Amino acid sequence: MTAAFPTPAADETQRLLSPEELEAALRDIGAKRYHNLHPFHRLLHDGKLNKDQVRAWALNRYYYQAMIPVKDAAVLARMTDASLRRVWRQRIVDHDGDHPGDGGIERWLKLAEGVGFERDYVLSTKGILSATRFSVDAYVHFVSERSLLEAIASSLTEMFSPTIISERVSGMLKNYDFITKDTLAYFDKRLTQAPRDADFALDYVKQHATTPALQRQAMAALTFKCNVLWTQLDALYFAYVAPGMTPPDAWRPGEGLVAEIAAVPQAAGTGRVEAGDVPRLPRGVRLRFDETRQKHVLLAPERTFDLDDNAVAVLSLVDGSRTVTDIAIKLGETYAADPKLIEADILVMLNDLATKRVLER
Amino acid sequence: MNAITPSRQAVPAPVGLLAELTHRCPLRCPYCSNPLELDRRSRELDTQTWQRVLTEAAALGVLHVHLSGGEPTARNDIVEITETCAKLGLYSNLITSGVGGALDKLQALYDVGLDHVQLSVQGVDAANAEKIGGLKNAQPQKMLFAEKVTSLGLPLTLNSVIHRGNIHEVEGFIDLAVKLGAKRLEVAHTQYYGWAYVNRASLMPNKADVDASIRIVEAARERLKGQLVIDLVVPDYYAKYPKACAGGWGRKLMNVTPQGKVLPCHAAETISHLEFWYVTEHSLGDIWANSPAFTAYRGTDWMQEPCRSCDRREKDWGGCRCQALALAGDAAATDPACSLSPLHAKVRALAAEEAAENPPDYVYRTIGSNVRSPLKEEAKL
Repeated sequence: MTAAFPTPAADETQRLLSPEELEAALRDIGAKRYHNLHPFHRLLHDGKLNKDQVRAWALNRYYYQAMIPVKDAAVLARMTDASLRRVWRQRIVDHDGDHPGDGGIERWLKLAEGVGFERDYVLSTKGILSATRFSVDAYVHFVSERSLLEAIASSLTEMFSPTIISERVSGMLKNYDFITKDTLAYFDKRLTQAPRDADFALDYVKQHATTPALQRQAMAALTFKCNVLWTQLDALYFAYVAPGMTPPDAWRPGEGLVAEIAAVPQAAGTGRVEAGDVPRLPRGVRLRFDETRQKHVLLAPERTFDLDDNAVAVLSLVDGSRTVTDIAIKLGETYAADPKLIEADILVMLNDLATKRVLER
Repeated sequence: MNAITPSRQAVPAPVGLLAELTHRCPLRCPYCSNPLELDRRSRELDTQTWQRVLTEAAALGVLHVHLSGGEPTARNDIVEITETCAKLGLYSNLITSGVGGALDKLQALYDVGLDHVQLSVQGVDAANAEKIGGLKNAQPQKMLFAEKVTSLGLPLTLNSVIHRGNIHEVEGFIDLAVKLGAKRLEVAHTQYYGWAYVNRASLMPNKADVDASIRIVEAARERLKGQLVIDLVVPDYYAKYPKACAGGWGRKLMNVTPQGKVLPCHAAETISHLEFWYVTEHSLGDIWANSPAFTAYRGTDWMQEPCRSCDRREKDWGGCRCQALALAGDAAATDPACSLSPLHAKVRALAAEEAAENPPDYVYRTIGSNVRSPLKEEAKL
């Protein structure tokens, strides 16, 4: 729905709006201020952020998710009507779940883990930006201190969230190879939960904002909430996009991450050299006699290996057709030694060179 | 044998030659190691002179030739020069931006025996990389170039110069190197000479980010053992001891500029009182052994305290002479990057201060302009 009724100008502030006009005015606030318009979200959804910037977002946003039930409990505590509480308590259930491993917070943790964080690091919230903490805490205080109408009206950003969620899910899946459908499971649930919650809250506000002053309070509450969300993205942008001014105690790339294990496919020719393998010197690695210094050297990308006589004897036999065992037998004949002992020795040396990426198999 | 005058035998043979074939380059990186005053095309050495220089280098004991610039493939004779290296048994390393004519010439370079390619990457995110390099559309060209290098079976090294504008991308550089099939990755924190000195206030990262980048590299080395070799160059200003510049002055490397001036390191021209000789007037061997620029700071005789009596004097050879001049005002002083230098604390504080302020805009590398550094006067020490 387009906003047929813009936010009333100052000279109109005393006029009572019809419920439809009020809804239009509330939607207009979102059309202008909801955080889907923020440059950080544009970068996020268009795949323009790097992995660390996505991580910073996931980490900071966790604090918001984690505090939502605290906020809803504060709202609940102010409701004297059991029928209202029965509806509202569903929000807490949605976020906290019915048992460990269930609920929206848990799904957000999965998202944070999906981009590489250690669970405990995320739970500690020690790496979040102060601006995140201040904004979220301001939201919790707001619903505790203002009227119930304002507290409920401030939740109305949910009216706008289905759009952002679908943009986000499709954009992130398309643009980031480290994001999977599982990682984004949080948003699947929110696609149905948010509209249900928003419908209820909107009806409540339309029914209870019965004077011009109450209507203006409801609109101001929603504006406040939009700013809670917007400010968090401002802070992320400032710290992790431009100018990149990260506060001293905030998360930095590399912190709080699970070491990535076996995430990389093995490149051709790499891996442990065994006795039956055929070792070879790849292009860009050459055994050469250095006339000036009267010794053999192994020339490799931006380095030179000095070789002792044994290494020269082995590498002279690395020709891309002999196996390690063949080389050991040949050396055993030349030096009248046990080829099994030689084989063990040269495997150590060849694997050392393979680790340095100057020998392949 | 004369025991007093150092004999020519006492001078170790050079192992590497950095051939700066041209200063022309499509990129404009604000940390370029070239001098502020760049050589114009009309003054560049011709093909025959480079071939003679390479022949002399091989006879002198040089093993590695780094074909660099500017962008070395901007020269029409890059294939001929590379072929000369191969014929002389010299190990040829093409240090390239991968843009401009690089891709078109790669097959021919491979055919004549190019040994290795070092490709610069300014960033992982294309927009960021292109902002740093000052050239639109550079990133896709670089990626295509890298794919061609590995598909030919040439070993590829990615070189990433790290600074404030991309220090958040270190992990991305590692992922990119693996994805492109590189065997080596250089995570090289900016060295503040030349253009990087001019741009220091825009480039200097803070200590915490530097430490994080080191942790990332260390973890990746373990994880990618046998797959990717990662060389890490840590930033001087935050280090405990300085680097042995070019492996020690006049000990391992020589650098020939586009117009044939021979330098002990690529920044040596900033020491304006030194006398440099030209390959057009002297043989390379004569220059290496006898030119005033090479003998000035070779060995340890020139050292002052605290270097002179230091146990590390033959490890780091007093650090970088150019940095000593730039920061301490005396090219024979201890490099202030060294924690034993009386100026070290000041240098460190200066780095921290610059890293904490809003970065000024880059002064991009250009040929033929009057460069004014945005560094504050007092920030020059």
